[in-house]
Amino acid sequence: MKNNVFRELRVMSCLALSCLAIVTVALAGCGGSDAPQFQLNMVAIADAQVPAAQQQELANVLEAMYGTPDEPFVLGDSHLDIKLVRVAAGPVRSDQFGRETGLYRRHCGHCHGTTGDGQGPTAMLLNPYPRDYRQGKFKFKSTERAAKPTEYDLERIVREGVPGTAMPSFELLPDTQIKALVEYVKYLSMRGQTEIDVINAISALGEDEQLDTSRAVLVDEILVPLAESWTTASEKIVQPDKPTAEPNSEEKLASIAKGRELFYGTAANCVKCHGPSALGDGQTNDYDDWTKPLVEMAQRLKDQQKSLNENPDIPAAERNQQEAQIAFAHEVLTNDALPPKNAIPRNLRQGVYRGGRRPVDIYRRISAGINGVPMPGVGPATPGAQGTLKPEEIWNLVDYVMSLPYEPASRPPRQDQLRFSQTQQY
Amino acid sequence: MGKFWSLLFLLVPILGVACFAVAPWYKIWLPSDVSEHGHMIDHLFYFILWLTAVVFVITEVALFWFMWRYDGKGQYRTAKFMHGSHSLEIVWTIIPSAVLLFIAIYQMNAWADSKIRNPAAGPDGIFGTADDMPPTLEITARQFEWRLRYPGLQAKGKLGGDDDIFVVNDLHLPVNEEILLDLKSSDVLHSFFLPNMRVKQDAVPGMKIPVWFRATEVGTWDIVCAELCGWGHYKMKGRVTIESREDFDKWLEEKYRDQTATQDTQPVGQGDSE
Amino acid sequence: MTSISVGTHAHDAHPAGHGHAGSFLSTYVFSRDHKVIGIQFLFSTLLWFLVGGLLALGVRWQVAWPWAEMPVIGKMLFSGEGGQISPEFYTVLFTMHATVMIFFVIIPILAGAFGNFLIPLMIGAEDMAFPTLNMLSYWFMWPAFIAMGASFFVEGGAAKAGWTSYPPLSLTDLNGQTLWLIGLTFVGVSSMMGSVNYLTTIIQMRAPGMTMFRLPMTIWAMFITAVLQAFALPVLTAAGFMQLMDRTLGTGFFIPEGWTANNAAMASGGGQPLLWQHLFWFYSHPAVYIMILPAMGMVSDIIACFSRKPLFGYKPMVYSIAGIAGLGFIVWGHHMFMSGMNPALGMTFMVSTMMIALPSAIKTFNWLGTVWGGNIRFTTAMLFALSFVSMFIIGGLSGIFMAATPVDIFIHDTYFIVAHFHYVLFAGTAMGVFGAIYFWYPKMFGRMMSERWGKVHFFFTFLFLNGTFFTMHILGVAGFPRRLADPYHYQTFHHLQPLNVFMTWCAIGMVSVQLIFALNFILNIFIGEKADRNPWHANGLEWQAPSPPGHGNFDFQPVVYRGPYEYNSPETTEDFYPQTQPPPEQHPPAETEHPAPQPAAQ
Repeated sequence: MKNNVFRELRVMSCLALSCLAIVTVALAGCGGSDAPQFQLNMVAIADAQVPAAQQQELANVLEAMYGTPDEPFVLGDSHLDIKLVRVAAGPVRSDQFGRETGLYRRHCGHCHGTTGDGQGPTAMLLNPYPRDYRQGKFKFKSTERAAKPTEYDLERIVREGVPGTAMPSFELLPDTQIKALVEYVKYLSMRGQTEIDVINAISALGEDEQLDTSRAVLVDEILVPLAESWTTASEKIVQPDKPTAEPNSEEKLASIAKGRELFYGTAANCVKCHGPSALGDGQTNDYDDWTKPLVEMAQRLKDQQKSLNENPDIPAAERNQQEAQIAFAHEVLTNDALPPKNAIPRNLRQGVYRGGRRPVDIYRRISAGINGVPMPGVGPATPGAQGTLKPEEIWNLVDYVMSLPYEPASRPPRQDQLRFSQTQQY
Repeated sequence: MGKFWSLLFLLVPILGVACFAVAPWYKIWLPSDVSEHGHMIDHLFYFILWLTAVVFVITEVALFWFMWRYDGKGQYRTAKFMHGSHSLEIVWTIIPSAVLLFIAIYQMNAWADSKIRNPAAGPDGIFGTADDMPPTLEITARQFEWRLRYPGLQAKGKLGGDDDIFVVNDLHLPVNEEILLDLKSSDVLHSFFLPNMRVKQDAVPGMKIPVWFRATEVGTWDIVCAELCGWGHYKMKGRVTIESREDFDKWLEEKYRDQTATQDTQPVGQGDSE
Repeated sequence: MTSISVGTHAHDAHPAGHGHAGSFLSTYVFSRDHKVIGIQFLFSTLLWFLVGGLLALGVRWQVAWPWAEMPVIGKMLFSGEGGQISPEFYTVLFTMHATVMIFFVIIPILAGAFGNFLIPLMIGAEDMAFPTLNMLSYWFMWPAFIAMGASFFVEGGAAKAGWTSYPPLSLTDLNGQTLWLIGLTFVGVSSMMGSVNYLTTIIQMRAPGMTMFRLPMTIWAMFITAVLQAFALPVLTAAGFMQLMDRTLGTGFFIPEGWTANNAAMASGGGQPLLWQHLFWFYSHPAVYIMILPAMGMVSDIIACFSRKPLFGYKPMVYSIAGIAGLGFIVWGHHMFMSGMNPALGMTFMVSTMMIALPSAIKTFNWLGTVWGGNIRFTTAMLFALSFVSMFIIGGLSGIFMAATPVDIFIHDTYFIVAHFHYVLFAGTAMGVFGAIYFWYPKMFGRMMSERWGKVHFFFTFLFLNGTFFTMHILGVAGFPRRLADPYHYQTFHHLQPLNVFMTWCAIGMVSVQLIFALNFILNIFIGEKADRNPWHANGLEWQAPSPPGHGNFDFQPVVYRGPYEYNSPETTEDFYPQTQPPPEQHPPAETEHPAPQPAAQ
């Protein structure tokens, strides 16, 4: 009996120790802490067919100019505030004064991604997808269509959220944190645009040329104009020069009636996309600028494969090379991009306005259009806007659009029957 | 070893009571109550807490004592041979059922005040339909925010006009006034939870559920979503600001002015990133 | 045959396959022997117990240190995010923790493992009434295991809508939810097969002399549980199908008019989200009792055995189980006090909920009465059984808070609820199950578990479980809501982080000490001390069969002369009095269906 107990003790402690050892080794093996890295823009790389060796160089250039997610770095020419960027970057922590850092990864990263590519782990669940900052295009802003948003615009989006999308309101964060997040978004956007510019530079290279990584090219040719486009954004604000009619006035009713004509007329031609009922059911098969390259690339790959199949006399070496390219691009499309979705025109009868519900916001949407999507600008001739309507006509349209949710057609009588009250029993 | 195990079981009532006794001291306790009906809920909570504490201590100590006293210690045949006691069974059936029934009846009024006596239904009854009191505002929960809609300034408290005031997450309410909210949801289930006002109500798509309370203190508190509403459930944070009627009106007017802006208020030069 | 004494058949040496020329496959895998099926259930559920425990650690990690790098999993799945897990993965963690623990651990370990193993043995039957159906009930768990297991690997991950799976959220989820529903359906079918079998077996196959009021509490509890399952499960299965149709075929049972989410196309609508809650809780509230009654029964047996004293108030115990089952069908609405259900209805449910506390109270007092005046032997099984009583008091009392509807306004969906059901399900049922494993292990495997290590296991589990779950009450009182991936986002809950860190350490401790149990359990199958037929000197029929019992269970025809709790009876010289031992000075009864009336029990 006694022997038995001792044997049991021995066997059990040996086994327990070995189990612990295995667990420890496993934890140590998997738990090795390697910091997150910025991902390369593989879609652009596959599009420009950048060879592997130069991908590494691209990564080096970007790291030299912008640092890593944990330790960001900015050049003075970028006009970015490194202090603010550092507050938003890095892992989620708070220092001994309780000041929080790692704000981006806490609040934004799981949708917008560490790289700002709009492909965080949560992104695939969302409709529309979160914004990919790397093209430097932002939809809801006060500036001309092709211009960058002002800092105030980004701040407003962070504060108010984007109604009708998964972007929530961060109104309750302290001002300094919001400022830091805005700065970090700008940082990611500039980094992404720099990356695209460098990729374009690489793809423009000849057979034996090397990428020129001198300051003259990287900073003076790429970074400085980019930074300038951000700093000069506030000069390109679209400002209506006069207010519209007072609410509930005769004038207002007239304006709405005029706006209705414009809506269905050929000059503005809103009806083409937003549909005759303004339910957003017009042209719904278009893509936005973030998705279009993916769709085009997929189409190109299909054509390329087809021509490969149809021409049996292509030499084997070239055939192999092309097939490898196609395979690589396919891999990129599945792994580094989300499945394409159409850009759907807004249903104007819901009373949900993504860029804000102030009349001035709607005015800007119509006047400057929405950058990155098919919505054109009809305001005065500025880059990207057609200049087809006069300011007062734009106001007419604004009045009409804002009256749409209150038209009887927008509120089927059923709505009132659905007034569940206390007495409803389930 | 029997004594050791009995003492281990004695730790349960000792540490259990200690835990509840020490927690308020560390401020890990009911959040401050700033509503009119909240004290009824807190009172009921304390009533049940004391009642259960007494039962808890008595039963756990009894268990400890029986373990300590009747530890077999390897002795043989010292147990009583008995199959139960009819009168004891009757005693411990009747007393708990009386207590439980008492609690059940005792709390009915508090429940009715919080959830059944809708101020909009008028003074006459629970199931009235008269819109005696229009809702202060309508709250539409969506993934993942609280969309608030106040009646416009000209609308005299009626919702649905084109001058309704839209706000996100930032709930302002007048102090010491009966507040009636219409709670709706535009996508999935949410739950409108004001810890400091002892208010909680699920928002159900397809239903409009009235919520009422009266706040008694000026200040700001959290609005919490208390029903799983998807991956961003934790993000659904709002803020309720209770303020005087004048401040509230001023705030509402400001919101209205901002919402109807036809010129931008954006300070020029703000966009510079220096 | 009937009056053969125990000792003469101690040489039975045909563990399995007695009278069957079965292959390995038909003996150990597709066996129709209730004991093999029970042990298969036991092994499967214990494995899932491990999975569920690790999922719980994931949840605790995120609540204590949100957005900190999660060990192993974070690194594996989210290396791009610096190892911090995404919020939707957090929802997967708690959804699957609850699903696994409830549907793959608690319910099948009670009904599947112990129900299967014990029912024929304790009533003196050769096997279940429908052995093939019994085998199927185990193998129908496997599609569920596979569906739930696979759901972790589909796009978007496993179900993310909570274990209650409330629509419309569950309708917006990706394929993980569909697999979840399929898994749930198979669990339902499996349980249904089991419950039909248990009912028939208990009613039809009792040994001569085993009247209903001579059944051990375990069998009574299993019987009532089977009734609950048979009546409530079809509702859940139907509801599951309705949700499946809403997801896949475009029906609208749970979708309101004009409903849309995430900018998807508008659904057909016309349904009601609350309908699901009613249907779900109509099953799931009785399921709460399905998850505790068998443990109560087994604990009653263990406590009586190790107090060496008859169970205090056998009949009130039986009636209170029946009372719980009856009332259990009319209290489901107390999960829905805040749901938008008519609040006047809430009043009705509140009264019935208050009343269901009564039978639980009666049971607790009777357990105390059993221990009182006993001759307690502190075996590991007894310690676990006593801790069941001690913890069930906490779980039962905290239930009164949420039954009180006005208080529920505040504590609904806070950690107070989490504390409550963990006290009932983990500190209650799981501790009871541990006790039952220590108690019936010798009968299952013919060897003893180590008492020494069992007590170490008990000691640390007991400490850590209270450290983890008792503090949850306090969190709940502070209003801390469930299911938040980052609770400290709210200023109101900022100061609760240190407490959460403490709880997470306790949880880590609690999961790690289960290693002792695992080793104790696995090793002693091979190296444990050999057990004789009745190592605990208990009265039940199962202890008269060989350890482990061969195919057909008994090597003699058991005849029952008295109730199962005649410990320390003055009629015998020993302090136990097996149910099969003929009374002195009495002729053995004839082999009729109705044996001679016996004195004992009540």
